[in-house]
Amino acid sequence: MFTLLIALLIFSVVNYFISKASWRVGSIINALIGSYLIFQVFTIPKGTEVTIGKFLGETLALQWTNAGFYFSFVSLLVIVAVMFFAIKWLDSQKHPAAFNMFILMVTAGSLGVFMAKDLITLYIFWEIAVLSSMLIIPMGKKESRKAAVVYAVMSAVGTYMFLYGAFMIYSRYGTFSMPEIAKNLANDPSTSFKVAVVLLIAAAGIAKSGIFPLHTWLRIAHGNAPDAFSAVLSGQLVKLGSYVLMISVAVFPSLKIFANLKLYSGVPAPNYFLIALGAASIIIGTLMAIKQDDMKMLIAYSSVANGGYILVGIGTMDPLGFEGGVLHVFNHALAAAVIFMAFASVVYRTHTKKISELGGLIHKMPITYIAYLFAIISLAGIPPMSGFISKWMIYQALVRKGMFITAAIAFFGSIGSFLYVFRPLAGVFLGQLPRKYKDVKEVPPIMWIPMLVLVAISFVMGVWPFPILQPIENMRADFGIAPSFKIADAQNWLVRGFSGSWNPVIVFNLFITGFIVAYILYTLFPKPKKVDLLKPHKEEGAPINIYTSGEFIYTPELYHYNTKFYAGFERMYEKHPSWEKLLYMLAKFFHDVGEWIHGWFFRPSPSAYTFWLAMTILIIFWVRW
Amino acid sequence: MTAVYKAILNLVIAFFFVISLEGIARKITARIQRRIGPPWYQNFIDIFKALSKHPFSNGWIFDFGVLMALGGAIATAAIIPMGSTFWTPFPNTDNFFVIMYLFAVGSLGMAMGMVGSGSPWSAIGVSRALTQMLGYELPYLVVMSSVMYMYKTSSIHLLIEKQATNGWNLYVMPIGAIVAFISLIGMLGKKPFDIAVAPAEIASGPMAELSGKYMGLLQIMHAFSIFVEVGLFVDLFLGGGSLGWFLVKFIVVWVLATLISSVLPRFRIEQMLKFYWGVPLGLAFLNALFVLLGWTF
Repeated sequence: MFTLLIALLIFSVVNYFISKASWRVGSIINALIGSYLIFQVFTIPKGTEVTIGKFLGETLALQWTNAGFYFSFVSLLVIVAVMFFAIKWLDSQKHPAAFNMFILMVTAGSLGVFMAKDLITLYIFWEIAVLSSMLIIPMGKKESRKAAVVYAVMSAVGTYMFLYGAFMIYSRYGTFSMPEIAKNLANDPSTSFKVAVVLLIAAAGIAKSGIFPLHTWLRIAHGNAPDAFSAVLSGQLVKLGSYVLMISVAVFPSLKIFANLKLYSGVPAPNYFLIALGAASIIIGTLMAIKQDDMKMLIAYSSVANGGYILVGIGTMDPLGFEGGVLHVFNHALAAAVIFMAFASVVYRTHTKKISELGGLIHKMPITYIAYLFAIISLAGIPPMSGFISKWMIYQALVRKGMFITAAIAFFGSIGSFLYVFRPLAGVFLGQLPRKYKDVKEVPPIMWIPMLVLVAISFVMGVWPFPILQPIENMRADFGIAPSFKIADAQNWLVRGFSGSWNPVIVFNLFITGFIVAYILYTLFPKPKKVDLLKPHKEEGAPINIYTSGEFIYTPELYHYNTKFYAGFERMYEKHPSWEKLLYMLAKFFHDVGEWIHGWFFRPSPSAYTFWLAMTILIIFWVRW
Repeated sequence: MTAVYKAILNLVIAFFFVISLEGIARKITARIQRRIGPPWYQNFIDIFKALSKHPFSNGWIFDFGVLMALGGAIATAAIIPMGSTFWTPFPNTDNFFVIMYLFAVGSLGMAMGMVGSGSPWSAIGVSRALTQMLGYELPYLVVMSSVMYMYKTSSIHLLIEKQATNGWNLYVMPIGAIVAFISLIGMLGKKPFDIAVAPAEIASGPMAELSGKYMGLLQIMHAFSIFVEVGLFVDLFLGGGSLGWFLVKFIVVWVLATLISSVLPRFRIEQMLKFYWGVPLGLAFLNALFVLLGWTF
């Protein structure tokens, strides 16, 4: 395993020079390596352990677990799809060689995080993934530089808290190894220490998966990153955060650790705190996504909301809630990756990401449209796509626990997701095509095939979810969360909840039958005459043939309804308080204080500068010796 | 195999029964407004006339959307239990959340096809319909969660069975039943919640571009939707019984909703949202609290 990671890191640098010669060869090699890695994660036997070094007298090690396998597999699906997508898409970028190098580093870093056995190894690979992704973000447009800074700062807040927690653990138990820590925490009498440590470890996950107080970087980073890389950011890198959150509540068994802190229906207080943060993220993400005009920022906010779902599911530590949360990682990864790739295709052809400037692209890019459509069906949690299964499990857990307020927020997020995913559907793909895009073409196959493959996986897992539920069941068994019934019952084709069950195959068959009956009815009756919505583009001066209250319309793009799509609803929370503005005020305050200190002590005269330098050195000597 | 016959019976009843009821509703509204009104079978005439005319199609996504809408509605109507375990086509799959989300397939198909027609009226209507969904679903789902929490099951036919021993949910949790009924009116899109179609303002909203068989197929889809919505309410709050009793209760709920809607004017969008997220949502949480404390009848 370790040789694999080191080889990846070394080859990423080699690939930079290959890509300098020909970036297309480099990106094809990338895609092949990625495909090989997907094959490779299936061959590593579970429980393999490799020692990689020593730190403070403690051995650092990698371990291949069920959780690591599941997260690595999901990550690789997303990354490999984007690597194939990039083979063509990179020709719209300025730095393809650096992109090829850093995306391999991101892969190596993420795999290392999922393989790490101890907190320090996790931290090292975490920083590799974060730093290399941070260097890809500024390759976008002008604002991307600032986006990278915000991303780095928010990540740093999380990782420093994580490190602080790790060293607190080390000073008390003298170990970094996660299984050891879990054992020690379960027997520790000090409640305040346990709460502090678990929340500090969780802070890295909160920052990375965009949970409420640290969610602001998602909008800026996902919105401004290079278009295809947003798919990796939202589909894969955010899931590193979910992994750390899972460590802090499941690998460190919170039900045992906080057995005397149960707050309400068996959920411990720290978990409840995390669930509350997740619920806040669902509300903020949904409301903000509904009013975005920038389609990438819209889905970035939706990632905030879905990160909230994952946290709510895992935080309950209920067998169903846990499986739902972990399955939502897979569903959201695939859906968000396809959506961002579809948007990257749109931007690749039209060079804009504003919904209000687009429209009617279904006439020109039907395959991208189909990929987007199925991805949003999964994201909104509608059967027969796999997104429904995880939402169903999370609802079951919330209803079983009687957590009505959290459940109401989850319902709000789910119905709200219909609203926000429909906005790009209506504004970008349906409706009237603006005249300036009349010569736009569908993207080449190497760009749409990865999207369709991901959509197909999500679809198959929605009809027959047992292959993807099996690794999750294994994980759940590892963490000792045992249900009183079998959740994934492949013999009877059933997915069971705490009460009642459902058969995904029957649901799919009903859906297909309904569709066939509808089609038969459709063919029985007279054939329609076609209305050509593109007629004004083809013939100068031809009016469009739709109902317009008796007006003749020669400029159809003016009649495309895509600006302020939910005006009636958006008006209701126009004057909402903004967390982002508060953070900027804080940043401004520190900036001003720094300016003041700078102006006071480091005046641009060499003598004052030397004086303060000498003073500082003297103070250091006086304190230390 | 019996499951298939039962599902087909569901669809047949949904078609003939609900379309007759829609005609009766028109008659009732007319009598309240001191008109004579059309005969009860007028809606059958309308549908078959629409189906036989030459239609216009606004592109492939328009056709696909109509098929998806009707297909989703047929799939959902086929699962609904009709008042007893015997008349439950798929006892393993009649889960409440499955029905609610499968139902969303039809709505999504309709929304997609209608916006695909390229008419701005349709897009405005769809945006209103989705906002309204956000309004009524929230109190409805909170009430349903408390029902499922109380009986520890989310399977509809088991909930019907539990009511046979425990008494109708209408009596066990009257507040919840009232909230669900208010949400039901919104779900049916009847006044005061007919914001999405609003014939006087936005030319019937999503239906602006429909002609011929498209109109006919979507009217059939609408009938199936009514069957799902009212059928769920009857199953969950008015207990079980034979098939005949189910239909009688269905008629009572439908006529009540029609009577209420025929004397009310239309809400604006934000009025609708403020209404649903005010008193009904508050009462839904109150009902949940009563269930948690065990204060049910």
